[in-house]
Amino acid sequence: MDEDASNPFRRMSSRTRKVASKMAAALASSDNRTQAALARLEALENDNGVIEAVEINDDDEASLDDDDQVYMQKKQSKSMKRKTRQAKALEARKAPRTFIELLHEANLESWPPHVPSYIRAAVGPPSSTSRRHFCAVCGSAANYSCVRCGTRFCSCRCQNIHNDTRCLKFVA
Amino acid sequence: MQSNVVVLDNGGGLIKVGLGGERDPSTIIPNCLYRPLSSKKWLHPSPTSSDDPLDLTSASVRRPIDRGYLINPDLQRDIWSHLFSSLHIPPSQSSLLLTEPLFTLPSIQRATDELVFEDFNFSALYVADSPSLAHLYEASLRPTGIVSKAQCSLVVDCGFSFTHAAPVFQNFTINYAAKRIDLGGKALTNYLKELVSYRAVNVMDETFLMDDVKEKLCFVSLDVPRDLKIARKSGKDNLFRCTYVLPDGVTHTKGYVKNPDEAQRYLTLTSGDQPAQNKELDELQVTETPKDRKKTDLTKNEFDLTNERFLVPEMIFHPADLGMNQAGLAECIVRAVNSCHPHLHPVLYESIILTGGSTLFPRFAERIERELRPIVPDCYQVKITTQEDPILGVWRGGSLLASSPDFEAMCVTKSEYEELGSARCRRRFFH
Repeated sequence: MDEDASNPFRRMSSRTRKVASKMAAALASSDNRTQAALARLEALENDNGVIEAVEINDDDEASLDDDDQVYMQKKQSKSMKRKTRQAKALEARKAPRTFIELLHEANLESWPPHVPSYIRAAVGPPSSTSRRHFCAVCGSAANYSCVRCGTRFCSCRCQNIHNDTRCLKFVA
Repeated sequence: MQSNVVVLDNGGGLIKVGLGGERDPSTIIPNCLYRPLSSKKWLHPSPTSSDDPLDLTSASVRRPIDRGYLINPDLQRDIWSHLFSSLHIPPSQSSLLLTEPLFTLPSIQRATDELVFEDFNFSALYVADSPSLAHLYEASLRPTGIVSKAQCSLVVDCGFSFTHAAPVFQNFTINYAAKRIDLGGKALTNYLKELVSYRAVNVMDETFLMDDVKEKLCFVSLDVPRDLKIARKSGKDNLFRCTYVLPDGVTHTKGYVKNPDEAQRYLTLTSGDQPAQNKELDELQVTETPKDRKKTDLTKNEFDLTNERFLVPEMIFHPADLGMNQAGLAECIVRAVNSCHPHLHPVLYESIILTGGSTLFPRFAERIERELRPIVPDCYQVKITTQEDPILGVWRGGSLLASSPDFEAMCVTKSEYEELGSARCRRRFFH
């Protein structure tokens, strides 16, 4: 844990990779819109806003003097070298896994069908497929959708705002 | 001996902990560690009842529970040990009644058992699920009511991580009939955060602040299309517009609702279509504070909420609007009931119990009843019971159970755990 905190470069790199892979996955998919929608739903379960953890570390780093910086880098390279494969494995084991990973691991699909499980307890799709649409900009009932990204809006004014701000962006 | 049962309702949002037999838990704290901007360490939050002016601005949080299930036992151990030492509870001389969500994965159950017996050395453990405890408490409140007579109820637990509709029969949850919607208070807060960040001020980091906004300002609409039209109006016709002032860190460290009367105006809207005489009421209020309403105070950071106030809780009733492929709460209740034996259907519809923090939105019960009535066969009565304190309902049930005479016989003791292991001991709890 402390190791992590004193090692801003590692954290930063891990984060960019994470975002990049998400974007890459979304772009690679044949259906960008579903991917973006899924990413958005996923984001609803986040504990924190996505960006802040790394920026804090950047600030810490920037506020240091040059000497400190050199010292920090030395310390870093040292600790990098010292990290053996075993230590890395240990760290990976210690890092908490997400619930989704645990769920895959439990392999609930292999349970016999009469046993109630997490997957079978989900309520399932709604009986009516109709869906109300709300304007992404102002929230009122939306009758139109963006031709480029499919986001809903209610009026010309909201369309302009949408085009200027969010169109074709992946809101994760 | 009896007072040595620790009852711990380990929710994803709040931990409720206290001794068995008491009416209220000793402490309620958020189940997380937080780190304010000014600090590098992760800190333990203080109990929600105390009003320390903590600086929670842009604090980041770590939670041991993800999607309702315990995924980080190490973090949970930190939180629990801090909790037990601050309450002076010696774990090795107490037994523990712990709540666990339905359908906990075996690997998580094992980790929980290890935590309880190996890290804390509790002398005995009983694991309960929240629907049966809520049922127990409700049955004890009204010994002559239908819940205790029929020994059967439908508990709708709408908490922090998800929402369950679970039938309870003879104090046991019918687990094959329980249905789940993957939406809870956390998702709603995050959704509100997203909306406000796009439309007004960036609050993506302000989890605690937005929790407060949600609790104070959100409500459940009884007629969404009508309310959407009202929310589009400008000026004082818009009954929903209200302003929330962000903390500035100097004079006040907590955000607050700028004009609480204004925020309550939606209550004048009844189910009827025309809020005719209410208009006078509004104008009265408006004339009282004309200055406050006109000028925008530039020294303060604030944002307006209009339709967000009811569109956010709306998601529980229609997750499909969010793009989720799940049915809404009313349909969830009907499916849970339909999975039971037909003889139970009339009783279940007549004894629906609402529990969990997210049912605190004003008009939540009314809305469920309105949605439920058209899809329930008309030979059945629909009756919805709300708890006076939905956050504590489950804990109070646990406290009752812990003080019952045969509680000790139901527990798994430490020696049994050491001899038989986690999986065998778990069979005793029938889940």
